[in-house]
Amino acid sequence: MIANTFFKETKELFREGRVRIAFIIVVLLLSLAIGISARQYANVNAQYETAKSSERALWDNQGEKNPHSAAHYGTYAFKPKYPLSLVDQGVDKYTGTSIFLEAHKRNEAQFSAATDQTGLARFGDLTPDFILLFVIPLLIVLLGYNSFTKEREMGTLTLLKSQGGTNWRWVLGKWLALFFPIFAMTTILFLVAGVLLSGLKDFGVFSWKSLFAMYLVFLAYYIVFINLVLLISARVKKSGVSLVAALCIWIVACLGVPKAASNIAETKHPYPTRQEFAANVLADKKEGVDGHNPWSKEAKLLEEKVLKEHGVDSLHQLPFNFDAYRMQKGEEHEAEVYFKHYNYLKNQFSNQSKVYKSLAAISPYLPTRFLSMSIAHTDYATHWDFADAAEVYRIETQKFLNDNFAQNSEYGNWEYQAEASFWQSLPVFEYNPPELQEIMVKNTSNLFILGIWLFGSFGVLLLSTKTI
Amino acid sequence: MLSYNFKYELKLLLRSKWIQLLSVVLLMLFGFATYNGLQTVEKRENDISAARMEVKESDAMMVKLLDSVEQGLTVSVPRWTIPSSPMAVGNYHPRVAAMDPEPMAFVATGQADLFTHYVKPKVSGDDFAMNFAEMTSPVQLLFGSFDLAFVVVYLLPLLIIAFSYNVLSAEKESGSLRLLAAQPLRLQTWVLQKLGLRFFWMFVLVMISTLVVFLLSGIHPFEQGVRFWSLFGLIMAYTLFWFALAFLVNLWVGSSAKNAVALLGLWIVFVLLAPSALNQLGNTLYPMPSRTLMINEMRQLKAEMTEKQDEILNNFLRDHPEYAINDTTQSRGFYHRYMASQKLVREELAPLVNSYEDQLKKQQNWINVFKWISPAIIAQESLNRMAGTSTQDYENFRNQVVAFAGDWRNHLIPLLFNNEKFTTKDVAGLPEFRFTPLQKGTSKESIILMVLGLMIFAFGFTYKTQTSTYRMLKSE
Repeated sequence: MIANTFFKETKELFREGRVRIAFIIVVLLLSLAIGISARQYANVNAQYETAKSSERALWDNQGEKNPHSAAHYGTYAFKPKYPLSLVDQGVDKYTGTSIFLEAHKRNEAQFSAATDQTGLARFGDLTPDFILLFVIPLLIVLLGYNSFTKEREMGTLTLLKSQGGTNWRWVLGKWLALFFPIFAMTTILFLVAGVLLSGLKDFGVFSWKSLFAMYLVFLAYYIVFINLVLLISARVKKSGVSLVAALCIWIVACLGVPKAASNIAETKHPYPTRQEFAANVLADKKEGVDGHNPWSKEAKLLEEKVLKEHGVDSLHQLPFNFDAYRMQKGEEHEAEVYFKHYNYLKNQFSNQSKVYKSLAAISPYLPTRFLSMSIAHTDYATHWDFADAAEVYRIETQKFLNDNFAQNSEYGNWEYQAEASFWQSLPVFEYNPPELQEIMVKNTSNLFILGIWLFGSFGVLLLSTKTI
Repeated sequence: MLSYNFKYELKLLLRSKWIQLLSVVLLMLFGFATYNGLQTVEKRENDISAARMEVKESDAMMVKLLDSVEQGLTVSVPRWTIPSSPMAVGNYHPRVAAMDPEPMAFVATGQADLFTHYVKPKVSGDDFAMNFAEMTSPVQLLFGSFDLAFVVVYLLPLLIIAFSYNVLSAEKESGSLRLLAAQPLRLQTWVLQKLGLRFFWMFVLVMISTLVVFLLSGIHPFEQGVRFWSLFGLIMAYTLFWFALAFLVNLWVGSSAKNAVALLGLWIVFVLLAPSALNQLGNTLYPMPSRTLMINEMRQLKAEMTEKQDEILNNFLRDHPEYAINDTTQSRGFYHRYMASQKLVREELAPLVNSYEDQLKKQQNWINVFKWISPAIIAQESLNRMAGTSTQDYENFRNQVVAFAGDWRNHLIPLLFNNEKFTTKDVAGLPEFRFTPLQKGTSKESIILMVLGLMIFAFGFTYKTQTSTYRMLKSE
């Protein structure tokens, strides 16, 4: 019974013009999207390599210079692009790609692609994730909306019932018939993506395991949609009504809820404006040691403390350059201030995430989107991770420079210059994104929500089709 | 016949609860979207006024400090922030250059979540390093905002589709088409009348919803008639276009399900695919130069300039002999060298920095030409412009800020090079930023869109009249 229904439905689907056309369109769109993204990916990666190496060359060839001048001159951390971003671009368009690392200041990533585009960019891009997240669910709606209603409309429902099989058998047959083309398409797509990506030069970063995890997430997402569409089709009397209802679900889940969620999240847990943030940081910075200000109260206190520790009565008698030492203490205080304020931002974001998660109860789109972005290393968390790694590197660099300054010169000597070869001894900034396992642990709640959707929709479908 | 049709259809629509449902849904969507929009605008206003307040306070502080300095007292702030130095004023007491929201800003978020609405240009900053990007969670940017523009551009067409996809096919499916064919009435006329009634109801409901929106936002719909009618006109033009498409599909396609699929296909093409394809083509034709490579170039140039600072200062002074005449001390310090070389850096980098604005302008021009491929683009762009949140509005703001940053510098640099002190008397003369919004042109887009809709209606009405009726009946 299951097999018979499956074959009959599949045959019917392939005979119908709308299915063939819809399929061809989706495949065409997908190949277009992959083509565009692949080109962009190669482009961005080439730029990244050039920028990274030429930035390092600038740093290495500074010549003789005071270490603190070099600290102000600073260096850049560039964010790499990862292979799976080809499948899901995530928030990459909206986050900057380079962070300026300088003395006294933690800077944010600058120059997001979106700020360099027209307002039209906000409609979305023709990328594989657009097809995977929006168009394929729509295809499911188009393929499955009349799965049960057509039996009613053609009067074959009674015939079906008279066959003697239990309901769940032919329901499963219909389910399989709808699942199979989607399954085949998704599998082929991910296989192609895998082959394409493993053929890239930086094969080391790409992992089949991550791609497979992503594949499973999307399959689960499609199964949820299949269940919902079939559920509606089974409960509604007319094909037209079934189509409109299934579409409403699509609109609410994929368009309405994410947008509403972003509004609610922003209203409930707003970010400060850039200027406000800077003002708050500045106010806190004033509370502690400023490396450039030996006259402040905090600097005097530090002076007394250090003199006492070393049992000397003048800064000139210290075995190191106190100017540089103060500079380092100032740096440490500033780093703490930044840590506090960026933590506040992170806190706001984790509160916002809770809003998204609670609204995921009415939209399977949300957990899928967050999971797929995480796996692709294109989510906000990875961006934070990168920014934090850059900050750690910045703090280490400052210490490295201030230590050199402190150890190789005496108090009051601002003319000191480090050797030209010194700069090369600064370690290179390397960033490794979180591993798949870590990502999965971080996303347990999203996995859980998607799981509830998956099993819940199955359960409701089976229960409601018991009586047709 | 017309009045019969009208009465009968109205009864049907009321009994099937369509009109009731539609009014509730429309009011809810418009209301929620307006509420969201108003909240963002309120936050924007509060942020700006807080920033202005802060400047006022810091100005009061500055006057106090200047007073103390002029009376010869010692002050307890770091040496380099004492405002008697013009550079300290320029760096530690910047003005707020703010872009106040326009009255209709709540209509469309546009680029408002992406860009900041006020900056404080400093005398030593780089124009190109001025960060206009707002601190927003990228997830929020990715999902976008549930604003009135979203309701109009994305959702309204779907409501229209749900409202009109089966006008003719339902008759066919319920078997009443044959009865209808027996009436002395052209099929087109009849479909037109049915859709006309639906359009009429949509007109009334949208009118009411828009009135509610204006009342919510505190704009008087009749005193500010131009605003009201331009928004309402645009929505109606866009609505008319979708009704026109529904008319064609009803006449030409067949069953209810096929109609729905066809209309949805059109929706996807016009609302989702055309804009992104156009954007991507624009990006490919006029690609943005790489920002990472720009950073490299900028840094190289700065490194070169730092090495030649003394030479640059000499050249600068040669170009400005007036400074030699006015100032007898001729003492030159860090800021003299820095400002002189900074000026050179700015001039050298100007072509590179301008290339971004140029490319953006080219992309925008490209869109202006090809936006006609999709009414959704026209509607979105027009709404953004109405709200003052379009790409051009922010470009306008950026340009004005850069010009103001120049004024700010030029106001203080003579003081620096003449080695004059900044005094309490100079405080009132500091330049202030005034934002001039773009002129709103006439809404010719709405009119063209409306004409387009009417043309589609006319086309459907006259083209292949017999065949469609014939086919309809034959397929019975």
